[in-house]
Amino acid sequence: MTRLTMMSVLGATLTTTMLMVGCGQPAAKPTTAATTSSAPKIDGTKFVLAEEPADAKTVLEVREAAKDGDDVVIVGRIGGDREPWVTGRASFLIVDPTLVPCNERKGDNCPTPWDYCCDSDVLAKSKATIKFVDDSGKTLANDARQLLNVKELQTVVVKGQAKRDEAGNLTVFASGLFVRPASETKTE
Amino acid sequence: MLGFRPLPWDYGVRNLLRRPGRSALTLLGLAMVVFLVLLVSAFVRGLDASLVASGDPSVVLVHSLGASENIENSTVPGGGANLLAASLRHIQSRFEHKYVSPELYLGSEVTTAGAGEPAMGIVRGVTLSAPLVRRQFQLIEGHWPKSGEVLVGRLAPTKLGSDPRDLAIGRAIQFEGRSWTVSGRFASAGSVLESELWCPLEDLQPATKRQDLSLVAVTVSNTEGLADLEEFCKERLDLEWQATPETTYYAALQTHYGPVRSVAWLIVVLVAGAGVFAGLNTMYGAVVGRVRELATLQTIGFSRRAIALGLIQEAMILSSAGALLATVIAIGVLNGAAIRFTMGAFSLRIDGLVLACGLGTGMLIGVMGAIPPALRALRMPLVEGLKAV
Repeated sequence: MTRLTMMSVLGATLTTTMLMVGCGQPAAKPTTAATTSSAPKIDGTKFVLAEEPADAKTVLEVREAAKDGDDVVIVGRIGGDREPWVTGRASFLIVDPTLVPCNERKGDNCPTPWDYCCDSDVLAKSKATIKFVDDSGKTLANDARQLLNVKELQTVVVKGQAKRDEAGNLTVFASGLFVRPASETKTE
Repeated sequence: MLGFRPLPWDYGVRNLLRRPGRSALTLLGLAMVVFLVLLVSAFVRGLDASLVASGDPSVVLVHSLGASENIENSTVPGGGANLLAASLRHIQSRFEHKYVSPELYLGSEVTTAGAGEPAMGIVRGVTLSAPLVRRQFQLIEGHWPKSGEVLVGRLAPTKLGSDPRDLAIGRAIQFEGRSWTVSGRFASAGSVLESELWCPLEDLQPATKRQDLSLVAVTVSNTEGLADLEEFCKERLDLEWQATPETTYYAALQTHYGPVRSVAWLIVVLVAGAGVFAGLNTMYGAVVGRVRELATLQTIGFSRRAIALGLIQEAMILSSAGALLATVIAIGVLNGAAIRFTMGAFSLRIDGLVLACGLGTGMLIGVMGAIPPALRALRMPLVEGLKAV
């Protein structure tokens, strides 16, 4: 076999190898439908209150007493779901402050304590939805975490207008929010 | 490289042919190692591809709160689909028909005519909206199921461990206490849907004595759609619903199968390592048996570097040939072969990455297996080599 022939064989082998490697279909990458927002950036500081509003009521109290359209001041902790935020919107869930998240119970190391899974029997009726809306009543298309610089399990006092429905759900169209300083507590 | 004179290319090739028995056995051994690497890689890639293909970025699954990891346990009221269609904007529609698919999804014991024992299958009760939302759905044989009929996924026989002829059109199968006639077969671009049985929702609900749904699959028309759905679920707290993008749901399943993939890749590494040692052993044997020949080559003027290069060349030719042989067999035998797993079934997939793994392993075995014997040949004193028996 001549050197030329052998080089041809080697070349053919390498070409075949490269073609075989190149022929595979690239796996499609999954993408989430909406993870980013193209909405104009809004200054969230105008919604953050410098002082805590007076006469704040807990989520349970407001759910009990407030009617549709009432002005309310409600206090609760951000949570009630493994994902209490609405992706890309200024909306989130709060839970009645009397409920205790798992990380504040001794010996509990739940990785997502803000979902209040330890209180699942009373959780459904201890939640409220907070929304920051524009003049037309549409929820702001800015993620609440960035807009208001808030995170899970923070205690917030929200001033706004209550919206009730026939099923008893409570949504607060918020005009202002105050974040209470964190306090360390552990419950037996 | 000036003055460097390598051994003629065909010298190495002829050397391999001088010992056809040993060369053939080494070739087969190397091919087997590469085949095993291809098998395990194809398993991992097939599993990944199946889960990736199952997630459509524009589809959102609405299910009960906390059931995102086990949608079989989810329960949504029967009117859930209509409520969503009426309440939300940004849902894709055609001719005023919204892409909202109410589905009842469950594992059920399925008995085919040829099987003595029932097997666990996956059944989905669907409406005509399902093919709108599941855009990869393709009816490949037969017709859409009417009352009392069932549509069989391409990989359903594998999932059920049954003869495909038992799931042919017109055959009867039993599940949920009643008999169903196969009306057709469908494919879904390799997604996990292909291992399912689809029947009319209005038939499955009475058969299972249920009036609810497991989930509602919704196709959103733009990026606002997911946020709308999430907001709706957060606001209607009484419903206790959760919206999960389909891609997120299957990505979580991929994470669930992470340990399986890790073990599979570990097997690839171990098999490749064993192959390197086998190659080393063979090439050491080849060098030991050719000590005098190598010393003679030095005597007639070939440098030790040229001889070492020649040994590596021989090993590379053999390992490349073995890798190509294994690849051809794997493409013919493994590619597309169906494998059963807990969530359904998937096809082994010989794609670019798998081929690169197999062929790369073959090359690696050739180089790594030849270098130590070649170094030994370099270090051997010339006189001792010439005197060797």
